[in-house]
Amino acid sequence: MSYPEKESIINIFSGLLITSIFSWIIYQRHLNGNFDLTTDFKTWGVIFLIFMGVSIVARIIIYIIFHIINTIATQETDLPVTDERDKLIKLKATRNSHYAFMLSFIFGFILLAVGWPVYTLFIVFVVSGLISEIVENGSQLYYYRRGV
Amino acid sequence: MDHNCIITGEEYKMKSSIKNTIRRLRFNADEMTQQQLADEVNVSRQTIVAIEKGKYSPSLELAFRIAHVFNTPLEEVFEYEPPVKEQKKKK
Repeated sequence: MSYPEKESIINIFSGLLITSIFSWIIYQRHLNGNFDLTTDFKTWGVIFLIFMGVSIVARIIIYIIFHIINTIATQETDLPVTDERDKLIKLKATRNSHYAFMLSFIFGFILLAVGWPVYTLFIVFVVSGLISEIVENGSQLYYYRRGV
Repeated sequence: MDHNCIITGEEYKMKSSIKNTIRRLRFNADEMTQQQLADEVNVSRQTIVAIEKGKYSPSLELAFRIAHVFNTPLEEVFEYEPPVKEQKKKK
């Protein structure tokens, strides 16, 4: 398995892991009564900003660990060259990711239109972010394996 | 040549491909490895593997760079196969 393929798998699992753990912590705090996510939209804003920071830091740590393990396992210290094929795959994967995010977003508005509460939209934001990330990395994996 | 003809009751699917002789050219060039060729044309080994297997059609510039490494004309490295019509019976 090539380095970009491993990287895509790591991205999918790290995205799932970080989002699940963070969502679980926030949900537990909501249940404990620390804040009410059904009405307090200011808290949603704070949660999203904290999530972005936590996600970036966690990903950096995961990447460092992945790179160290990969270097030990393969004895390859240099990062692979990024060429035109990588760029094309990245472009197509980003396109698919945007489609996925857009569809999830529309789904969120449909939920609002049929009478679901406003806080549902924020949950849809989180889920659509995760789905679009899975689609992007899954697409990359697919294009690297099956050709582009 | 009519590639877009439509015949009643039959569906034609266009399929085209670019074949290459890189594997043979590498063998003739003192059994050059995929990594050596990749280094020469400044791409990853995986890209050379994908081109050889026909999973990726390189850009015109990369195609010329590969031909230049083997010191051969482009048409000896890459061969264009005209679209093949695949007949499919309509259900």
